Amino acid sequence: MALLQISEPGQSAAPHQHRYAAGIDLGTTNSLVASVRNGIADTLADTDGLHLLPSVVHYGDAAILVGQAAQQMQSSDPLNTLSSIKRLMGRGTEDVSRLGEVLPYDFVADVDSNVPRIQTRGGNLSAIEVSAEILKTLALLAEQTLGGELSGVVITVPAYFDDAQRQATRDAAKLARLNVYRLLNEPTAAAVAYGLEQNNDGVIAVYDLGGGTFDISILRLNKGVFEVLATGGDSSLGGDDMDTAIGEWIISQASFKDIDAQLSRQILMAARAAKESLTSLEKAEITIQQGDQHWRGGIDRAQLDELIQPLVKKSLMPCRRVLRDANISKQDIDEVVLVGGATRMALVRRMVGEFFQRSPMCDLDPDRVVAIGAAIQADVLAGNKPDSEMLLLDVLPLSLGIETMGGLSEKIIPRNTPIPVAKAQEFTTFKDGQTSMSIHVVQGERELISDCRSLARFELRGFPPKNAGATRIRVTYQVDADGLMSVRAEETTSGIAADIVVKPSYGLTDGEIETMLRESMDHAQDDVAARMLKEQQVEAKRVIEAIDAALIYDGDDLLSKTEISKIRQVRDQLEQDIEVACADRLKKLIKSMEQVSETYVARRMNTSVKAALAGKQIDEVKL
Amino acid sequence: MQTLDLKQSYFELFGLDLKFDIDLKQLHSEQQRLQAIFHPDRFVRASDQEKRLSVQQASWVNEGYESLLNPVKRARYMLQLSGLELNDESETTSDTGFLMEQIAIREEIDECHSNADPLSCCEHIAVRLRSKADQFGAEFVASFSQGALDEARLTSRKMQFVARIMDQLMDLQIELEEELEI
Repeated sequence: MALLQISEPGQSAAPHQHRYAAGIDLGTTNSLVASVRNGIADTLADTDGLHLLPSVVHYGDAAILVGQAAQQMQSSDPLNTLSSIKRLMGRGTEDVSRLGEVLPYDFVADVDSNVPRIQTRGGNLSAIEVSAEILKTLALLAEQTLGGELSGVVITVPAYFDDAQRQATRDAAKLARLNVYRLLNEPTAAAVAYGLEQNNDGVIAVYDLGGGTFDISILRLNKGVFEVLATGGDSSLGGDDMDTAIGEWIISQASFKDIDAQLSRQILMAARAAKESLTSLEKAEITIQQGDQHWRGGIDRAQLDELIQPLVKKSLMPCRRVLRDANISKQDIDEVVLVGGATRMALVRRMVGEFFQRSPMCDLDPDRVVAIGAAIQADVLAGNKPDSEMLLLDVLPLSLGIETMGGLSEKIIPRNTPIPVAKAQEFTTFKDGQTSMSIHVVQGERELISDCRSLARFELRGFPPKNAGATRIRVTYQVDADGLMSVRAEETTSGIAADIVVKPSYGLTDGEIETMLRESMDHAQDDVAARMLKEQQVEAKRVIEAIDAALIYDGDDLLSKTEISKIRQVRDQLEQDIEVACADRLKKLIKSMEQVSETYVARRMNTSVKAALAGKQIDEVKL
Repeated sequence: MQTLDLKQSYFELFGLDLKFDIDLKQLHSEQQRLQAIFHPDRFVRASDQEKRLSVQQASWVNEGYESLLNPVKRARYMLQLSGLELNDESETTSDTGFLMEQIAIREEIDECHSNADPLSCCEHIAVRLRSKADQFGAEFVASFSQGALDEARLTSRKMQFVARIMDQLMDLQIELEEELEI
């Protein structure tokens, strides 16, 4: 409502200079969006006051639901309700069978693409499309809260994500039409939030155990420079695996005849609930009830610890490696910072503390710290802090190599090399008249190509036919600041750039992304309508809050009883319609709300509060 | 935007004298100073051309940093600057004494596993390897300063061998720590 809502002082001073930017933590279990407002970085809450958006998408007959609403459909419609989708980002079809026990969906074979697709009511969907829905929801929340279009975002990824997983995240952002300033590693983001909030320098270890991924990073913090010394982890280890372990225990205790998707989802949800309540309680009750199958039992802390202990132990191996790669000992570490919901568990804290020989720091909310760090970087990258000295120096998490004779990997860029980085290699033709050559790029530490992750096959074509050895080709592997790889090649004698055909081993081709973007244009109108409705709903709530606050403050002084009741009538109508009316109807109601309170606003402005009101919100004035 | 002279040597880039014993602190602080200027984070909203330039220059700074930070790479880089063409594949050492020693150390490493105290067994070997590395470093400096480049190259190969064995030893140490749950 124009007259009652006067903009905040910071924004009205130079609105054209400030760019809206946000940090997005796209998590396996939950996702968050954060932004820097008035110099303070914090996560943003939705209209229900919730900061954590469950990373769940439900494909219904008419609409796509994201978050809490989608989560509620999980038991009743498991096959169309997709969760933990991050585990599939950048994964190939053959990985799916391995993850199948955690992801109980109908996968469909897709001959045209090497991306696993899930059959849902919304079509056969890739993890990229599902993630794009989550990103859209978060971006919308940010734009509504901030009151303007986002000029750019920083999206966090597990440090241990490989090239394909990072590319998939970028593609999801592209589908959601977001301008990505940077992909930021989650532990680095946490370090930024930790370092800036606590104003601490020194060497820190960030232990990040999320829903589906585990990262360990060692950083050196020095006057705004965040230098990653080494990073390691396990891109499929997290709280989800604990749920599965507990779920398997439940199954071993109960004797279910037949476990279908619905029951298995219910078991997993019960397992997670038990795990969470055992964070504060010593014992948890579990009840499973579906049709004629039911089980009731209890699990205590000791039993839980026994089940998850192997998983926590699994996380300690990368911790050892990362210390070695950083070339430091446990004693050199000044602080251990815990990130990720799973680090709330007592056993995790105890084992991590024992390993690093110091009690870990947990002052920061492990769920929110990553998004907050991303928001701080987004704010700097947007140019809102021209004097900022902040600099994030990250590393390549997994070695890049190429396939050589005999199926072996030759390391081109070793892990933990600071990025961006480029490395050139010279090749020569080995046959007379040879005009093309192919390079297979892999990522990973193992010797055998088959044990590494295949990234792409590059076909170099079009060099002039010469005798064997006469043609020299210089191939440059480039890793950018997002940890993404590209390859270029030129013939050194002529300087002619070779024609490169890239076949990504996993992930979508540019063509596929184009098609998806075009298709989403067709849905764009629905999206616009949904967005307008959401905007009007938010506006309506704001108007109601503003008028309520005003009436309490000076309604009785400035208005007659009839005037008040007229205002109340429109206000109540608006409140009643807020969830059910269409955007146009809400807009009209808001308009009439404005009209009916016009005199009231005028009177308020004319009284002595006029000066006090300038540049402030009404609820501030009241204080 | 500022640009770097990509023709200068990494030593010049970091303001260091061309010698094996460099000031690692200066290398580190110069790397950070240069990244503060050229890192792609400083150019997220710049033109595509400036973005490309930034990636190129920041990459070059990092490549230089890595080349000088690691003693083996530093030695090899110094030889390259002196005009030697190095090829890791075809170069071998014909110093039989050195080779025998390497084989002996590898056998010792393999035997550590069955030792009563495998970790201190590893540590003993590590100490010896470190002193070997220092010794070859000194030999490299001596040969290089006398202009005996071929000899310096052979020494740099030995440094490479030692570094590789050291890597294997560290892998074993981690495995042992894992088994013993330290």
